[in-house]
Amino acid sequence: MQHKPNSLKQLALQKFKKNFWGVFSCFFLVFVGVIAVFAYVIAPDNTKHANQMHLSIHSKKPGFKVTMLSIPSGFNEKESVISNIFFGKKSTNTEVPISKYKIENNVLQYTEYASDGLEGVEKIVKLEVFPNNDVSKFIKEKRFLFGTDKYGRDLLSRVLVGARISFFIGFVAVLISLIIGVFMGSVAGYYGGKTDAVIMWLINVTWSIPTLLLVIAITLALGKGFWQVFIAVGLTMWVEVARVVRGQIISAKEMQYVTAAKALGYGNFRIITKHILPNIMAPVIVISAANFAAAILIESGLSFLGIGAQPPMASWGAMIKDHYNYIILGKPYLAIIPGLCIMSLVMAFMLIGNALRDALDVKT
Amino acid sequence: MKKTPILSIKNLSISFGKNDVIHNISYNLYENEILGIVGESGSGKSVSSLAILGLLPKVISKITSGNIFYNETEITTLSNKAFQNIRGKKIAMIFQEPMSSLNPTMTCGKQVEEILFQHTTLSKSEIKTEVISLFEKVKLPTPQRVFSSYPHEISGGQKQRVMIAMAIACKPDILIADEPTTALDVTVQKDIIKLLKSLQKETKMSVIFITHDLALISEIANRVLVMYKGNIVEEGNVTSIFNNPQHNYTKALINARPSLHTRLKILPTIQDYLSNTIVKTEITTEQRKLQHKKLYNKPPLLEVINVEKTYMSKSGWFSKPTTFKAVNNVSFKLYEGETLGLVGESGCGKSTLGNAILQLDKATAGQIIYKGTDITKLSKSAIKKLRKDIQIIFQDPYSSLNPRIPVGEAILEPMKVHKLYNSNKERKEKVIEILNNVGLNETHYNRYPHEFSGGQRQRIGIARTIALQPKLIVCDESVSALDISVQAQVLNLLNNLKETFGFTYIFISHDLAVVKYMSDQLLVMNKGEIEELDDADVIYNNPQTNYTKKLIHAIPKGL
Repeated sequence: MQHKPNSLKQLALQKFKKNFWGVFSCFFLVFVGVIAVFAYVIAPDNTKHANQMHLSIHSKKPGFKVTMLSIPSGFNEKESVISNIFFGKKSTNTEVPISKYKIENNVLQYTEYASDGLEGVEKIVKLEVFPNNDVSKFIKEKRFLFGTDKYGRDLLSRVLVGARISFFIGFVAVLISLIIGVFMGSVAGYYGGKTDAVIMWLINVTWSIPTLLLVIAITLALGKGFWQVFIAVGLTMWVEVARVVRGQIISAKEMQYVTAAKALGYGNFRIITKHILPNIMAPVIVISAANFAAAILIESGLSFLGIGAQPPMASWGAMIKDHYNYIILGKPYLAIIPGLCIMSLVMAFMLIGNALRDALDVKT
Repeated sequence: MKKTPILSIKNLSISFGKNDVIHNISYNLYENEILGIVGESGSGKSVSSLAILGLLPKVISKITSGNIFYNETEITTLSNKAFQNIRGKKIAMIFQEPMSSLNPTMTCGKQVEEILFQHTTLSKSEIKTEVISLFEKVKLPTPQRVFSSYPHEISGGQKQRVMIAMAIACKPDILIADEPTTALDVTVQKDIIKLLKSLQKETKMSVIFITHDLALISEIANRVLVMYKGNIVEEGNVTSIFNNPQHNYTKALINARPSLHTRLKILPTIQDYLSNTIVKTEITTEQRKLQHKKLYNKPPLLEVINVEKTYMSKSGWFSKPTTFKAVNNVSFKLYEGETLGLVGESGCGKSTLGNAILQLDKATAGQIIYKGTDITKLSKSAIKKLRKDIQIIFQDPYSSLNPRIPVGEAILEPMKVHKLYNSNKERKEKVIEILNNVGLNETHYNRYPHEFSGGQRQRIGIARTIALQPKLIVCDESVSALDISVQAQVLNLLNNLKETFGFTYIFISHDLAVVKYMSDQLLVMNKGEIEELDDADVIYNNPQTNYTKKLIHAIPKGL
């Protein structure tokens, strides 16, 4: 007779599968995760940081179409395919939006695009610049699905590439907060007494400093940049994890199976890692999901303030910052699209957190 | 003479989700009688009484068929509002846990007053005098003081008396007492039973008394219902049930509890009765004497000398810390192969003493000598080695196993930690052997604790304990949380293992009957001190101190 395995973990998983919003959010996150990893493959503008500017077509509506002439830059720097896929192309052609063009005497004559019914400047380029003197491959109709930002960059590409930062800051910050928080929390909760007092003091001090201020202080100390933000956010979030772990351990260590483990002569490390931690993971997982969402929000807040990811790096917070004054100028989509992205990602994490909390409560 | 029933239940079935827990039961309750309902956990005795009060959890449970008539009105279909007039006023209830059924933020007097406000039109001062007289009625020592005390300021027995006062405040027709004494010490239990009986006589109300303890029910009830798995298997007069039980389950229930007079070699279990394979071999006093002579000729395995355990409690910053001696000047000797019974009421320090021997809690003073070395002065690594020799079996089979580790792994882990045997394969074989020893088998190896019943979990706990092949095992209330029939199985198992492996037990329990059955020597503790120490039979037949006499007297004897 084959016995069907049903550990508490599997029971929780079965329960989680029945929760529509949990599963939906889970798929959504996987979807966003794939987009974040393969952003440069999917994005129409695959230059590094999706930074191909066309100033003449800045802040256009979603679905805007224009004829685009790309002029080869001339250098042919060697780039590996992998780096192209994951970090975008470094050297690229110069792209010029044009309204009309003609070819005469080995010279391409074109009129630059100008909006609001103005007449663009006419320019010429020698056909030698193009390989085989063939221009047709280099003039294309280009559509901007989400429109363009205030530097004329493709907003869709920026949003896709920006997903990376939001996603990865969540991972890194939660990872850092888990490592520090679980360690501190378990030590404080398990040993109690003076150890507990010292760690609690540290927790309270860290907690009393406003998160944004602390992150600003850490970014100032470590320098601006997005890695610093990752670390800074992680360092502020361990406090909540530590509190939760400590509280859980204090009640879990009164359980008889912990006394049993002591009586059986197990070492403290074994008791904490094998007997206590697996039993208190449920609230830690739930708080991690919430922290994920919080980290994304803090990062966008920091980018909005200008101390997060630095231009030209694409970040949703920074995109809102660049465009929030367009909201009253009749082009709200420039800020609303990244705003919606932040909202849906945070929401997905929150829903997963809720679903996990219900699923892991195996008492019912 | 045919009396009209005050409460009658007809063909009642209740289900929780898809599980039927009550199957088509019918019974009547007549005026001025005490009806006992007895059964083990899961037999549906509490569920059926909650249904009478309309207190079943709405979402998950459903009355699938049947009616409940109170004074010939059907009450299963009553609205919530109409029910409130019956609940508390006509039908009142006392719960098992007096600690959690009183609101800790209200004084006891206020809580009783509240009921009178709800159901009567008396004025404020009248209500207060009424409450005080109720408190006098339930024989609370200082009614005035209890009136203005908070629940944490009075003892468990007093709390239960307040609960009874609350229940009888509106002079109900029916009082449902759901295990009202299970959480209390035997001596307190005796007083509460006496009180309930005299109150019933005085007010002539009808009482439904629910318990798992047949002996207890024999002391209070007129008529008894025996429930088993949601069915009523037997109903009848107390004397006829006890002296002439018809159903095998009732027989088993009566006999599974260790008798105070004879000492059977193996306690009969329900399976034995159902399959009719009862072995009734007694251990005679001569056999016992002979065995004891053999035991006490050897040097003692463990010697406890003047052990003390003091707890300090600090009440304020500047006040002196108050000390409380949980164990005070306790000495005894334990010989290899014997069972020492340790008995006493809650808070007498018996568990603290057990923990001190196990070195889970250091003793404040005194010596504990195991095989010639004082283990109170051992280093950490030496204590770790000692853990292999001295082991514990816990009270609660539900919380003593880690819910996330399959039971096979849980039994294997201590072997791994103490580096017994050479390979995991060898250890696994050994685990399966141990599982067989405790009456489980190989198929259970990969299951998780929540897939087992209480009795099976206790077996797993025992298996984990004996995995280390200890010499001395402390059984700390190891059977107290189990049903009587399961308790008998576990006691048999413990005795069996003792014979096979030559264990020495310290058997801690508040239940004198069980301790007497198990032990060679008996140690009675009271308020941290040894009250009496002698052969178990000698103490039982011839108690020396008043405390022991009181304790023995308070045990419900049955008929």
